Amino acid sequence: MTSVHKIVFTAMAAVALLAIQPALAHHSGAGFGKETKEISGTVKEFQFTNPHSWIQVNVADASGKIVEWSVEWGSPNQLGREGYRPSTFAPGTKVTMKVHPMSNGAPVAGFVAAKMPDGQTIGKWDGE
Amino acid sequence: MTRTTLALSVALSFMLVPSPSYGQGAAVASFDKLPDWSGVWSMMGGTVFDRATQTGEGGSVTPGVREHPPYNAEYEKRYTAHLALRDADRYPDVQTNCGVPVGYPRILNLPDAYEFVVRPDLFYIIAENGGNTMRVYTDGRKLPAKADTWGTYTGVSVGHWESDTLVWETIGLKGDRDNDSILDRTGLVLSDAVKVTTRMRKINDNTLEAKMVIEDPKAMTKPWNVTKQFRKSKPGLFLYDYGCAENNRNPVDTKTGKTLVLGVDGKPVN
Repeated sequence: MTSVHKIVFTAMAAVALLAIQPALAHHSGAGFGKETKEISGTVKEFQFTNPHSWIQVNVADASGKIVEWSVEWGSPNQLGREGYRPSTFAPGTKVTMKVHPMSNGAPVAGFVAAKMPDGQTIGKWDGE
Repeated sequence: MTRTTLALSVALSFMLVPSPSYGQGAAVASFDKLPDWSGVWSMMGGTVFDRATQTGEGGSVTPGVREHPPYNAEYEKRYTAHLALRDADRYPDVQTNCGVPVGYPRILNLPDAYEFVVRPDLFYIIAENGGNTMRVYTDGRKLPAKADTWGTYTGVSVGHWESDTLVWETIGLKGDRDNDSILDRTGLVLSDAVKVTTRMRKINDNTLEAKMVIEDPKAMTKPWNVTKQFRKSKPGLFLYDYGCAENNRNPVDTKTGKTLVLGVDGKPVN
């Protein structure tokens, strides 16, 4: 790899990182643990609102009881500039998500990535 | 109405119109002589205000991260106390409650997008985050006397052009007087005696640079130099309003300093 290629590659990697960072800029992100958990369920609502967006997902727990998860994502402004829309998580969509849950066990989490029914992924699905 | 009454009314109406107290008269640039700072911009780096003096790895909310402004003993002690609260996740950022502007110089330390609007008579910093706005008057007026300022979040700024560099001074900042104006979430604060001199210019087609000299005789032993840079985004992007209170599920409990996370029922889950 030439030095020019290295510079271009580094710049592209930096841009890619910037594009996928969750950008929880409004507050400290307090409460979310470092553990990554996978949840699967049905989108109830996508709150594409400031200061941060929230994806409400109905997930069946181990006993089959439906639990509504709140998954926090970036500001709609930033997400909108990256191509996401209120329709990105349409109500009724089956989705699998990787999230950083609250360390106290509450069904609230920070968004990491999502896999849609057609296999398309959003965010850092293949590793943070 | 008698002539005397009419004359008095006219005289009174002139007295009620605010006079330009600080005067104008210096040469004002015309549009064609001003640099092109159009487009959408983003601050480079994280929201640690002074990355040049940062110690510790991580961002402004990471325990152990701090900066090293030339604080005097009193303000170093204050900063150390803020850092301890931050490490315990109990340092409140009142901005999180959507009520007050971030002020200056924190407006140059925000995520999301910016527009820098250059006019002959006025320069606007428009930060999407917040939203926040700041005005720098470049119409030749002078800064008001200290006694004519009363401490606001963004203060009063007057500037002029030196070739392609906008130079402005900011005074009249409230600093930490009311515990509601900080520079970043490590807990950096300034006093209400601060004066900031900023030199801003484009250092290449895609980068704007703002160099600040922060002089604060109440809080510091010498001037503090901080540089922030902004990268131009791809063309055609939009900025949007930032209705901070639209769906704020992360208010700060100002009594405990704790950032709350609200569940779907609106009750804190942490």
